[in-house]
This record gives sequence, structure tokens and C-alpha cells, in this order.
Amino acid sequence: MNGPDLDHPLAGPFWSAAARKELQVTWCAACDRAVWYPRPHCPHCDGNLHWRRLSGEASLISWCEVAGGLNPQFREAYTCALVSPLEAPDIRIVMRVTENTTPALRCDMPGRVDFVYLQQTNGAPYLAPAFTPYA
Amino acid sequence: MPALSLRSLARATSLPAGGTAEPLEDIRGIATITGVGETAVSGPSGRDPRQMALEAVAAAIADAGLQPQDIDGLMVSGHIADQITPDDFHRHFGTLGPLWFSTEGGAMIWAATCAHEAAMAMRARRATHIVNVFAVDWATRRAAGTGTPGDWHAGEDMKAHLEVPLGWYPQPVYFATFARRYMHEYQLTEAQLAAIPLTFRRHANGHPGAVMRDRGLTLEAYLARPPLAGPLRREDCCLISDGAAAWVMSPSERAADMPRIPIHIDGVGHGRIAGAPYISQQLDLTATPQVFAAPWAYAMAETAPAEVDVIAVYDCFSSTALMQIEDLGFCRKGEGGSFVQEDRLHYARTRRQGGIPCNTHGGLLSHGYLLGASHVVELVRQLRGSAANQVTDAQRAVYAGFTADEAATLVLSRGGA
Ligand SMILES: [Zn+2]
Repeated sequence: MNGPDLDHPLAGPFWSAAARKELQVTWCAACDRAVWYPRPHCPHCDGNLHWRRLSGEASLISWCEVAGGLNPQFREAYTCALVSPLEAPDIRIVMRVTENTTPALRCDMPGRVDFVYLQQTNGAPYLAPAFTPYA
Repeated sequence: MPALSLRSLARATSLPAGGTAEPLEDIRGIATITGVGETAVSGPSGRDPRQMALEAVAAAIADAGLQPQDIDGLMVSGHIADQITPDDFHRHFGTLGPLWFSTEGGAMIWAATCAHEAAMAMRARRATHIVNVFAVDWATRRAAGTGTPGDWHAGEDMKAHLEVPLGWYPQPVYFATFARRYMHEYQLTEAQLAAIPLTFRRHANGHPGAVMRDRGLTLEAYLARPPLAGPLRREDCCLISDGAAAWVMSPSERAADMPRIPIHIDGVGHGRIAGAPYISQQLDLTATPQVFAAPWAYAMAETAPAEVDVIAVYDCFSSTALMQIEDLGFCRKGEGGSFVQEDRLHYARTRRQGGIPCNTHGGLLSHGYLLGASHVVELVRQLRGSAANQVTDAQRAVYAGFTADEAATLVLSRGGA
């Protein structure tokens, strides 16, 4: 697989939303909390989950600068991160970090989720969430 | 001695939030490691993993003073391809007898938990002399483009769909992300972290079987290296190797009549994070599930870190080793960076001198990547007093196994000579 699978029963809606530049995660209405990663039912109450659109306000939990060549799916160097959305500080969404950002990255810094085009080896381009720190 | 009940083990075991411990029954006093064996550890060699496994098994059986027909139990990994089967064993050694077989053996966490499984099998009289073996040819596979250590992660459903497309892959990326968070929370510097690869390299330089035996490493050279997965450098990441290691476990009452100093299996613990296997969501990114495993093993062994002379931790990354040294209780959370300075992990700095000799063979970083199987072999040699980098008067040892979402702890002690 060389890109996200929009038809995947659990993860597909995340990517369909990203294609519209929306950040969505699965949410339990009964518990009123995010459940991440998606699963068929809420692990806390076994209730149904639905996809909820988030504001995109977020904080940077941590990040990694990946040297070119380490990940065969992406030839050039890049930075990826674990990001917690404002509405669900207990979960962490894997994202990119927007390139050429200022200021310097630091853990717990606030920012917003933008969308950038990624392309894996032998794959088609797709929109993916990327953390952009507030200046 | 009277066995501890599950309830008393649980009572003696206080765990932080974010994970659980397996309720492993007390098996202290049942089983003893009586023989060890290994092949050469190397880079790409073209060697067949089954042949390597059989070579290590033969060496372990001989080391225990046994014959192949004395072995009636075989443990291998059920998670890594191309391990040996009972048929392979019989064909190779020309044996015919019944062979109790378990795929709950091998390396990583199973290098610890196999000791529990083996002791339970001995208690139930299913087997007497059990050999655990692990073989890997990932150096050959990586060179040939036929497999990598990342394959499981790339194939797991949620990781494949919500991590890989974003580039959070392979494993150096995970642990670099956690290391960065640790640096933020506890002000760990890269020069402090360097103490781990540097000390393990010095151990490898003194160990004739280590892949990096001839390659020195200085702090200046380390700091000059570019990040591979920042903040981690290549020197912070395990080697990729070919090789095999094995050990024989025998009933403790028989071990006294066997040729080697008996190495007693005193305690085993096994913990996992809530929400396994998704480590991106674990409650504390700066800790390992060793915090859920080690207390149970210490309780079973009725010991504590202060009574341990030498350890071997699953050092897939330097930062993972650092966290596990804390999580095993050798210093407080967040103090690992300063604790590992001043040669505290070096074999020559004993417990009495405030050290805790760690990965005295060079570890996954500098000995070879046998996923922890060589760690256990090294600890047995330390307790026998026959290690290349021998810790003075080593009486008790701890192995810390790790898969990322799970960890396991094995407490060993030297029996009477
Ligand atoms: Zn719920």
C-alpha cells in the first residue's frame, strides 16, 4: 500500500476528512471523549463511536527529525510528530510538522493543524495533517 | 520454601497507572539454567536460521553435560519466522523421544517469560530438560531486501493506516519521538545519553564475540555524527545481525549433579501498557512497560534492585535502555541521565561502588542484535564467573526484555558451586 486507504472500515474516514482539510477523530457520545485509534466500539462503555470534526487547535507532544533514506517510503528528510488536539488532550495523533516553521519546535508548544500533500514511493499524492506552531 | 500466592505477589506489587502485570504464579526454586550456547554473531552471513539454531542448541546441550536424547522440551519464538520445530530437532540430532514444544520462547520478552513457562512445564511433569533457542538472520535479509525488523509494525492494521502514511515509521522514529519528550521533561542532554552507547561499546571492545569488538567510539565522534532519527544517532540504534543463542533449563534438584554452576530462576514478571500495541497512546511516553513487569519479578524473587549485581536490558535504542534502567528501579524516573555518567554502567564499577554493570557484552547496540537472547547468555556467564568483562563477585542478575508495548523481567541468581 502506498498511501492511505479511504475505504478502510476504521481509518478511512480520517483520510476522507483530511482530503477535505478537516481533522476528525472517533468520539464516544456516551462518554463524551475521543477514542483513538478508531475501533468498532468504545473501550470504556462499549457504545457506538462516531466521527467528530475538531477545531485543529493542538499542542505538540513530541517530534522526530527523520533523516532522508531512513524510511524507504519517503526519500527526503522530514519531521513527524505526536500531536494532541485541544478538544482531546489525552489522545495523540500522528502528524507531520509543517516544513520551514518558526519558531523552533519545543514540546507542549501550541499550534494549529494544517494539511500538506505527501507522496509515498510509487504512490499518488494525498493530503495529510501537519502541525504548524504558532509564531 | 513456601510458594507465594498470587494474592501476596499482587499485594507486594504496586504499579503506576497505564498498564498491568500478568498474574504469573510463583515458580521460584523450580528451574535452573544449566547450559548455554551460541553461534557467532555477525552482519550478513547467508547462514540459515535453522542451522544456526541447531548449532546453538547443540552447544547449550553440551555445555549442560547432557546428550540430545536427554532434552524433552523445546521452546522457540512463535513471532519470528524460520525457527526450528521438533521435527528439525529430531532430524538433526537423530532423536526419537517425546518433545514438549512451546512457541512461547525465543528472545525479547520471551527470553524472560520462557523461564516461567518452562518452570510450569517442569512442575506439571511435562518436561525435564527444556532448551530455549532463538535464531535471527535479519542482517542477511536486510542485505537481500527480503525483510526488515519493521515488517510487523508496517503490517499491523492501525499502524499501517494511521502511522505509516504519515511517516511515523520505522522503529527509530518511535523511540526518537519518546526520547525527545524525555529530554524535554527531564533535561537529558545528548552528551549524557551518549554514556550508554559509549559504555556498551567499551564492553564490546572487551568481548571477543561482539560485532563491534574492534571498533572504538569516542564522545567527540558520537556527537559529530548526524541524527538518524533526531535526537537519536545511528550509534543509539541497535545493530542488525545474524546469529543464534540457546539455553537449557533443568529442574533445580537435578542441577546440583550437573557440571556447571547452577543459575537459579528466581523471579519472572510480565507487563503491558493499556491499549497495547499502540505505543503512541501510552500514558507515559518517558517510561517503558518495565514499570509493570519488574515489581512482580522482584516480589517473586523476594529481592530488590539494591541486591542486584549485573543487568542486561533490551537496548534496541539507547534511550530505551536508559528508561528501563530507571523503570527497573536503579534510579528514580528522570535521574537516568545523570545516573549513567561516571562509568556507572561499566562492568568494573560494582554495586558496592555505586554502579550497576549493564550489557557487559555490548548489548544490542554493540554486541549484536539477537533480540535479548545473548543478554541472558551473558548474564549466565557473569553469574558463573566466566564472562569476558567479568563483574567481581556477581551473585544476582536481572534481564529486562522489551517489545515496546510489553516488557518482561527475569531475576537469576548463582547457586552453590
Ligand atoms: Zn464510551
